[in-house]
Amino acid sequence: MGRFYQDTRRRFLKRLVKGGFTLLASLFGITAAGFLYPSEVKKRTTKFFYLLNEDDLPKEGVKKMELAYEHEQRAMVLRVFVVCNAGETFALSSVCSHLGCLVDWSRSKKRFLCPCHGGSYDIEGRVLSGPPPLPLTRIPLKMEGEKVFAGVKV
Amino acid sequence: MGRIYDWIDRRFGIKPPHKNFLQRPVPQNLSYFYCLGGIAFTLYLAVLLTGMLLSFYYVPSEKEAFQSVVRITREVHFGALIRGLHKWSANLLILFVMLHTVRVFAQRAYRPPRELNWVAGTFILVLAFASGFTGYLLPWDQKAYWATVVGTGMAATVPFIGNHLLYLVRGGPEVDGATLVRFYSIHVIWIPLVTSLLLWAHFHMVKRQGISGGL
Ligand code: HEM
Ligand code: FES
Repeated sequence: MGRFYQDTRRRFLKRLVKGGFTLLASLFGITAAGFLYPSEVKKRTTKFFYLLNEDDLPKEGVKKMELAYEHEQRAMVLRVFVVCNAGETFALSSVCSHLGCLVDWSRSKKRFLCPCHGGSYDIEGRVLSGPPPLPLTRIPLKMEGEKVFAGVKV
Repeated sequence: MGRIYDWIDRRFGIKPPHKNFLQRPVPQNLSYFYCLGGIAFTLYLAVLLTGMLLSFYYVPSEKEAFQSVVRITREVHFGALIRGLHKWSANLLILFVMLHTVRVFAQRAYRPPRELNWVAGTFILVLAFASGFTGYLLPWDQKAYWATVVGTGMAATVPFIGNHLLYLVRGGPEVDGATLVRFYSIHVIWIPLVTSLLLWAHFHMVKRQGISGGL
């Protein structure tokens, strides 16, 4: 008797305790992860907000605008560019497609320049240089009478 | 698991100095009453962990506190479970801390050289009560509000300085948003921090002085 049984018994109990704790910790970990994961992830939809009057659209070139709108009772501001180039009018988001800094239009260089990592885009929003992987996002415009509305994903 | 732990411990060195302590034979005359402190500690860990989870969603503001608690209970995954665990563990913690105190008292385990550990324990007991009291206000519903109005109101009955005490506890003459933020801070920062330090001291002394032999 004695030693051998005591040793196996000891080892068995040790494993039991360790296993129990591991199980408990895992269960807690899973529960905690589930708890922290958001319970509803909202689908984003495009909503239109008033931007400016038709008369104020640029005849040629780039016009910087602050699109102010309300989303879930929060006042939001989005900087957009209204562009008229070669007879076509459209709007571009100012959010750089690299890491999301806000680009600005340089009149002298005739480019959108990103202050962060040297990304630049032409007047159509196409990438000219730097790390941005995609062109600037086009913002849909809608006319209703005299008024121009811009579509934002909210 | 063991290998990773050993790798760390070869550098950290927590195991060798504890080897004798962890592998000593348990005294003959122990009974299950000596488990009460350990049970209290287990519950303390449960309260701590679930509380840290709740803090991700609870909003300590007059306007949003109630709504955030409702949201935890109704919308957050496992929210009702975590909240229930926090509540039950907290109540059981109070119970087991008291039972543990009764055990120590009944066996006169507070006598030298363990006086200081009794003192540490007393502070822990008071902090456990304070944690229950401050935590009770946080749901910010009618029951919580009026319980705190009555509870803090007692401070005003202290002779001479009663009103000043009351203002100090409530952060103003009434129970309002200021009281809520005050209780929140005490409940989630001050008490857990101080209690954890005290518990470390508590266990350190148990380790150094050994468990008393009962009567
Ligand atoms: C969260 C609260 C507490 C925890 C987790 C805790 C935990 C423990 C543990 C694990 C022990 C080892 C022996 C045993 O488990 O019985 C112990 C011993 C002791 N505790 Fe506590 N305790 C707490 C509160 C208190 C309170 C409120 C008092 C008294 C006012 C107290 C006084 C003592 C004393 C004097 C000892 C040494 C007893 C002996 O050597 O026999 N503790 N405590
Ligand atoms: S964010 Fe614009 S270049 Fe990096």
